[in-house]
Amino acid sequence: MICLALPTGALLDESLERLARSGVIELGRDEIGRKLMVEKDGLRVVLVRPSDVPAYVDHGAADLGIVGKDSLLEFPGSRYELLDLGFGACSMVVAVPEASALSGPETWPPLLRVATKYPHCTAVQMQGLGQTVEVVRLHGSVELAPLVGLVDAIVDLTASGRTLRANRLRVVWTAFDSSARLVANQASLKTRGSHLLDVVQRLRGEGA
Amino acid sequence: MRATQEALLSEMRSWGYRYVVTPTLESLDVLERGLGSAQRPRLFKLSDGDGSLLALVAERTVPVARLVAGKLRSAPLPLRLCYAGPVLVNQAGGFQRRRESHQLGAELVGAPGPVADAEVIALAMRCLDAAGLRSYQIDVGHAEFFAGLLEGLAVAPEVRLGIRQALAGRDLVALEGILDATPLSSAEHELLRRFPALRGGREILDAASKLVTNGRAARSLEELARVLDLLAAHGVGGTVQVDLGAIRDFDYYTGVIFEGYGPDLGHPLTQGGRYDHLLGRFGRPAPATGFVIHLDLVGEMLEGERGRQHLPALAAAVAWSESGLAPALRLGASLRLFGMRAVVDTQPRSLAAARRWAAGVGSRHLVLVESAERALWVPGGGRSRRLSPQQVVGRLAGGGG
Repeated sequence: MICLALPTGALLDESLERLARSGVIELGRDEIGRKLMVEKDGLRVVLVRPSDVPAYVDHGAADLGIVGKDSLLEFPGSRYELLDLGFGACSMVVAVPEASALSGPETWPPLLRVATKYPHCTAVQMQGLGQTVEVVRLHGSVELAPLVGLVDAIVDLTASGRTLRANRLRVVWTAFDSSARLVANQASLKTRGSHLLDVVQRLRGEGA
Repeated sequence: MRATQEALLSEMRSWGYRYVVTPTLESLDVLERGLGSAQRPRLFKLSDGDGSLLALVAERTVPVARLVAGKLRSAPLPLRLCYAGPVLVNQAGGFQRRRESHQLGAELVGAPGPVADAEVIALAMRCLDAAGLRSYQIDVGHAEFFAGLLEGLAVAPEVRLGIRQALAGRDLVALEGILDATPLSSAEHELLRRFPALRGGREILDAASKLVTNGRAARSLEELARVLDLLAAHGVGGTVQVDLGAIRDFDYYTGVIFEGYGPDLGHPLTQGGRYDHLLGRFGRPAPATGFVIHLDLVGEMLEGERGRQHLPALAAAVAWSESGLAPALRLGASLRLFGMRAVVDTQPRSLAAARRWAAGVGSRHLVLVESAERALWVPGGGRSRRLSPQQVVGRLAGGGG
């Protein structure tokens, strides 16, 4: 039996829909939401936090996983990234308060203080720019941090920009675009190759 | 785990591989000369008294290569060497994986070509057998196949670099993006697109050799076919598969590569291959091939196959009271002479306390020595008897109880 890890939150509905449409597995949101682990049609599906999907796949507890590119970049590992599923499109951006004097990277101070739920991505992106940063790691409501003076800017994921606008923040730089990806454990792809590739083919056929 | 390690090393020795000891602490320069500076973040580093940088070894092939090019410089090639020991890897970012693990490996230095390649693969498989593993699979590939495909692709150098990076990062989404953006379509193009799925039996080789036009890729397929023939002659052909899409460190490996997987492990059990450029970096150019076995993973798999192994039970727990210490020590020594595992208590105890103690240390027999003449023998689950210490030795050594 192969095990598929699905992320809670924004990607779940579309993941379930895509799995059903491509004939991999029919699973109701309530069913998986209540049980966290469901076995059906020769497939075991587990529901975990998005940031935990890479861990389940890397350690082989799950053979396959659906997860945003952002989580893959935040938690580097030796998994295979097989498919861009297309949905869940969003961007990792740097945003500042509307009233801030900051705009593009050239206007940032020598030491930029940023709040984020993605400290690793932030460090990598800022290193790429040659920007020194002080990273404050938060677990939620990151938008609040610059408004109360904790930091100069935030690094966060945004799809429509609505939350940012509601909190009077504006985007000054886009680090990368993200979408949902299908990933596989490196050993599973060898030991359960034909099973896995069958799932991949179905999901691809119902493609972007 | 020690028993497993002993079984593996003894298999290696029986193939004529000599055990060598390499240091756990090496100069950072030495390790980087072997592995390249990309490996630097994976090393735990510390500084020496004179300010130079040292590092804990994250693998042991480079120290062995250095040994061959250094202390063993005048030893005639080919050399067959094996090693075992801890390695320490600083996992950059990501999860708190175990940092210290145990590796065992063998290196065949100075022998080129498929005959040597097949020897180390067969040895790796015999080692897994010797460890007691029942179900594993070996995938054999070739580093030159990928290099050849890339060479055969008529694209700009930066596109080639992009393909390399995407595959090294196992990012097939990025790979597809790059290939879609190149207008050319060729057999190499198509093979790269299907790259990670190029696995199977021997038929994969035939199918691929009909498609490739690049000389390097074609030669790698011929070599693989020869290795498969030789593995069959070694008597280990059955569990071997061909994996042309193996993704490994493309800069390090130069020829036939292989990996071994267990059924429920998320990581390979064993990895190896040909690395003909490494010895040259230490001043003694020579072809070489070898492999490493991850001992912790083998242990995990054995546990899964036959359950957790308990320590062998103690044969006797020797307690004492009053003036029984000296005779108790003599009794312990006599039991050990007969090859039994015996523990002598460190403090006097009453019978009730001695029973609890014996149960706690997990012993089959309890002997409570009261004096040179008097002892109480309590066989596991049996009726207790009053005997002299000499009689107890006679009973236990004679298989009594």
